[in-house]
Amino acid sequence: MESLIAAAICLTIALYGAIRAVLEKRTLLKLPFVNVMNFGIAGLIVFILPHPLTLVAAVAYFVGSTLEANAIASAYARRKPE
Amino acid sequence: MLEEFGRIVIATVIAWILFLSIDIFWRLPWKGGVSGADSIGKAIAEKGGDQHGGWMMGNIVCSPDASAGILLAACGVFVAGIPGGIAAAILVYIGNRICHDRGYAGTSGALIATFVIAAFLQIGFLASDFIAGMVLAILTIQGISHIHASRLIGYFWRWRA
Repeated sequence: MESLIAAAICLTIALYGAIRAVLEKRTLLKLPFVNVMNFGIAGLIVFILPHPLTLVAAVAYFVGSTLEANAIASAYARRKPE
Repeated sequence: MLEEFGRIVIATVIAWILFLSIDIFWRLPWKGGVSGADSIGKAIAEKGGDQHGGWMMGNIVCSPDASAGILLAACGVFVAGIPGGIAAAILVYIGNRICHDRGYAGTSGALIATFVIAAFLQIGFLASDFIAGMVLAILTIQGISHIHASRLIGYFWRWRA
């Protein structure tokens, strides 16, 4: 397993991003930490299952999570004036 | 073992320079591309960060930019060689269009990264080093201190503008 260390780094950073996102109070500032977690998970998907079609899964996960972050942030931006 | 750590550190530095220069070249810190990115930038600026740096961080969150392009190109090269990297670029372009982005930064980042990684494969690096390297590079920008990272990006942005 040549790439075991790289996979461990991705996992550690994904966990770190998740913990920082939980600890952060403001919703808009949680999103960059969630983004870090998404990067780690997308890398980890490829390490767990090294197959050409896994690339499609990783891209689908990453783009989907980005779209969700986009939706959360724009919904928050709209409700700001109250 | 130690050798792999060294390769990952070098890959991190290369990925960091590559994604910041491509993002700043495509003017990501100029303004928040969508309303969500704009409000993330303002939230970071309220907390004491730099406005332009905050906008760039908001844009990274809200659409797959060059950092995502480099990560997914590294994944593509890892599973399928150079054709995998080019397939990743196409998929990133589709993802950009889904997220209401013109898609220049993500697609060009993926294409440039494919060839950079292919060149580094020739001198003994592995594509997995660049996956871990890109994750570490995004950690330094998005995951440690929003205030300091946004000031750093703002400094580079003023130097480019």
